[in-house]
Amino acid sequence: MANDCAPSLVPRVLRVIADAGSALLASGAEVARVEDTMQRLAQAYGVQAVEVVVLPTALFVNAPEGTVMRRIQRRSVNLAVVAAINQLSRDVSASPLPLPDVEARLDAARRTHRYRPGTDGLFAALAAAALSQLFGAPWLDAIPAAVAGGLTAWVRQQLKVTGLANSVSDMIAAMVAVLPALVVAMVGKAGAGTVLVSGIMVLTPGLLITTAVRDGIQGDLLSSAARMLEALISAGAIAAGASLPLYLYLALGGHLR
Amino acid sequence: MIRAALLSGITAIAFGLLYQVSGWTLVLAGLIGMIAWWVQAPLAHLSGATLLGDFVGAFLVGALAEVAAKVRQEPAIMFVVPAIIVFVPGELAYKSMVAFLQNRFMAGLEAGLTAALAAGAIAIGLALATALVRPLLRSRPKERE
Repeated sequence: MANDCAPSLVPRVLRVIADAGSALLASGAEVARVEDTMQRLAQAYGVQAVEVVVLPTALFVNAPEGTVMRRIQRRSVNLAVVAAINQLSRDVSASPLPLPDVEARLDAARRTHRYRPGTDGLFAALAAAALSQLFGAPWLDAIPAAVAGGLTAWVRQQLKVTGLANSVSDMIAAMVAVLPALVVAMVGKAGAGTVLVSGIMVLTPGLLITTAVRDGIQGDLLSSAARMLEALISAGAIAAGASLPLYLYLALGGHLR
Repeated sequence: MIRAALLSGITAIAFGLLYQVSGWTLVLAGLIGMIAWWVQAPLAHLSGATLLGDFVGAFLVGALAEVAAKVRQEPAIMFVVPAIIVFVPGELAYKSMVAFLQNRFMAGLEAGLTAALAAGAIAIGLALATALVRPLLRSRPKERE
């Protein structure tokens, strides 16, 4: 199906491929998927002899006509972008769309947000409330857990805009996540621990762990190691952030039951 | 037990929403979270099998996600990431943290090591599921062609 691409258009196609790849990588897709998508796009546009290298923090596309590189600096969890580009790549494989259309769709896909940013807190509150019940907390504890989860997600959302490093904002969000649990502990009720854990679980680097495992299976060891390290750093930052208010509380004579 | 499975499903859906998953993909992710919890919950009652539940749960999440990905033609991580969160050993990590803060180092090490092993069990479960189920699913359409 792929008729050869006009040589003058190749650099533009390469740029589209690199953009699609970097958007996927920055949104948390596995390396194998990124490489596969880029190869498929190249094939669909008839760009021959394309070599694709994807590292955890950068990617390269090389064809005889030129090379395009992209550096990935900020990563986030946005599975909507992964889904949108997956759809785009399948559409293009079925029938190559004109380049301007693809560029427009790619641009839209990179900014996909299924839900408004403000709703994050609401979803996190629901998640934390459900988790607290799953951990066997009494019904009423769902309320402080929801507050903790919502507050955590909200703080992290606010910090994201400021451009702080991910680990630092995780740490600060974890500090805030502890506060509702400490209120529960001060009132003298049991179950502060469950509330605390439910709130903090919102910060769990679940995507990093998942992709680290999948990259490892696939043989993309560099990416697997990098993501494992990132998950560990994130977990360490969360533990450090949560420890500080807890330590102060315990040092001032508070009790956890 | 059914209540716990439902809660696990709700948790998966809530995390899916947080990660911008939508539509049928979200519903399937919730179902996967529910089924995985429902199957692994009884294993917690076996004596001496503290990590078996985590392993089986993660394996089920990974395997079901591969099937769902095949059916829906979407990346498997869309289903795995929301559904795996409930198995993350957050409570053990918390216990370990508090014990260290109170200078109870042995208790802290015990809980921390258990948490690390639980994380390992989850990773192995996910990895095995991906490594086993994906080739099985992939080989079938080739035979038909």
